[in-house]
Amino acid sequence: MTEAPPLDSVWLIALLAVVVAVELGLLIWALVDLVRRPATQITGGNKILWLLLSVFVQVLGPILYLTVGRRRDVEPAEEVRRPSAPEPPPPPGAGSPSGAGGPARPGGAPAGTGGHAQAASHVTRAAAFLYGEAGDAVGEPRAARDGDAPAPAPIRRLTTPAVELAGVRKVFKGAAALDGLTLSVPEGSVFGFLGPNGAGKTTTLRILAGLARPTSGDARVLGHEAGADGRTRALIGYLPDVPAFYKWMNAAEYLRFSGRLFGLEGARLESRIAALLELADLGRVTTRIGGYSRGMKQRLGIAQALINAPRLLLLDEPTSALDPIGRREVLDMVAALRGRTTVFFSTHILADVERVCDTVAIIDRGRVVEQAAIDELRRRRHGLNRLVIDVDDPGRLADALVGQPWLRAVAPAESGGLVLSVDDLAAAQRALPHVLAAAGVALERLETNELSLEDVFVGLVGERQA
Amino acid sequence: MSGLRTMLAKELAETVHTWRIWVLPGFLLFSGVSAALVTYFMPALLESLGGETAGIAIALPDPTAAMAYTEYLGNLSELVILALVIAYGGIVSSELRSGTGALTLAKPLSRTAFVTAKWLSQLCVIVLATALATAVCVGVTAALLSTGPLAALAAATGLWLAFATLLLSLMVLLSVLLPAPAAASGAGIGIYIALIVIGQFGRLADWSPSGLPSAGIALLQGLPAVWVAPLITSLAASAVLMLAALWFFARREI
Repeated sequence: MTEAPPLDSVWLIALLAVVVAVELGLLIWALVDLVRRPATQITGGNKILWLLLSVFVQVLGPILYLTVGRRRDVEPAEEVRRPSAPEPPPPPGAGSPSGAGGPARPGGAPAGTGGHAQAASHVTRAAAFLYGEAGDAVGEPRAARDGDAPAPAPIRRLTTPAVELAGVRKVFKGAAALDGLTLSVPEGSVFGFLGPNGAGKTTTLRILAGLARPTSGDARVLGHEAGADGRTRALIGYLPDVPAFYKWMNAAEYLRFSGRLFGLEGARLESRIAALLELADLGRVTTRIGGYSRGMKQRLGIAQALINAPRLLLLDEPTSALDPIGRREVLDMVAALRGRTTVFFSTHILADVERVCDTVAIIDRGRVVEQAAIDELRRRRHGLNRLVIDVDDPGRLADALVGQPWLRAVAPAESGGLVLSVDDLAAAQRALPHVLAAAGVALERLETNELSLEDVFVGLVGERQA
Repeated sequence: MSGLRTMLAKELAETVHTWRIWVLPGFLLFSGVSAALVTYFMPALLESLGGETAGIAIALPDPTAAMAYTEYLGNLSELVILALVIAYGGIVSSELRSGTGALTLAKPLSRTAFVTAKWLSQLCVIVLATALATAVCVGVTAALLSTGPLAALAAATGLWLAFATLLLSLMVLLSVLLPAPAAASGAGIGIYIALIVIGQFGRLADWSPSGLPSAGIALLQGLPAVWVAPLITSLAASAVLMLAALWFFARREI
């Protein structure tokens, strides 16, 4: 055994001084950081626990806090979008890109209508590849080999609805988030699930995705009990309202991870990843997800939800926090999926529903208050049209209109005239000249407006809340 | 188990890409190196202080490799276990709190695979880091002192690994039950202290997991060690804790 050499006292004191200095330095560093750092950026969010640990556990306490206790929040990188030139390679089998280019807009595609058309085109190509290549999942196989925007493959219409909820209740601590929710979503539709904040939209989507269970009632997805097992979840794609990813991965790594969970491997998986990166405009982004902006995360969220070419795509308020360009891109993605899969799209933004959805359900306080095709909904609720009429004496005209069989309601217009809700537009147009003449009022303006979805929504939800 | 291999690969990659790689392996390596150094320099340190503390003369035997190994095992049973309990307070709950778990579990990955992958990956990290730290301890000890009872060290380290596995399983269960990592760590530290206290009672230490750390040290010192029953109860308790974690996780909402 080797003899330990005797240490000179001076060196020993110097060594101890270094150790003490390091220990004190670590302690001061940890305490200063602890005081200045908001609790939200501390693991566990408990400052007191970390303070006690740092002070009483010599050396290791501060080291533990400095390594584990601090959470670094990465500032979002600048929005990185696809430049207009050179065009990124199309996904395998997706055909050649269309459009002649043009000046680049900040969002990546060329400015103006042509730019939007080109942006929409690459989205359509990617969607066509995905569902062409994976056509067996949703209908007849159809590879997008030629042409820019091939028509969607026909969906095999099933008698079973894509989503079927029957009397679903979900109670949280005594409060009912869903109160007997019943609705049916036909396969192949782009279905808008519309409701005010807190109406139960997110809870419904979480049940359909298998993350939550109904307290009572029946929730079925493509004929199977929602979330019952992996086989059901293999048929759906899900994007939560605030998607969270592993920050240390990049987009391709996350899509690869997601694809493997669906059993995809090899060239099939890699070609889908390429197509989806193009779909999400993330093909040239090499940074890790921790540095992504909100819009980039949202687009990646849609891409990961599509990795399995799902038969049902669940999107929870996918546009709620996006800027106008990001919102338009997400809506383009949803529109490109029309006819290829069923999209169940929750939102409280009425314009989004009017733009991409063909069928809508309006939910309020955990119950569906209306479900129909958008046009049918307008017709069913308040009649077909409304007339805005300006006259020299609105009061006398309102009196003269009482009892007209085609008239549903009369309200003052912002212009000072009247807004007439009418069941039968043709009858109103024939009768109005006689009513005006009989009342002796002079017509200044007559305008026919369709009821907007907003009118219907406010009418339905406002009535219940009043 | 659907998706276990993919989830396990992700967990191992995450360990390498994030702070996790520095915590337990760091503590383990520190323990391995410091045990040999402290054992080697302790007599010299005391001698430089005049060989007495508070007027009491201290006579230490010459440092040996077995003493260094014992110091190492002591470090493992205290510092490293404490680090393990704190580091794994959020082993499951942190994914649910951040929202990454919801996105992953909406895919056809079974909840059993989700939890098992986390447990397996961290068990791999602990076993590999312990093997490395033990090898470093043996190497540094051999350089400074000599080679000690390697078979006893291997056996004692194996017993410690069984104890660490038990605490890892405990932390998985606590992290499933308690959404806040700090709460899970606090509960874990409390249970660890309870195990140490139980270990002070001879009968209980003879068959309960709390007897494992002291059994390992006894092996190193060449003393009679009661380790079979504590080993069996530790492994059985690990299995029960993991089954409970899987059962609760399968029923909770994400």
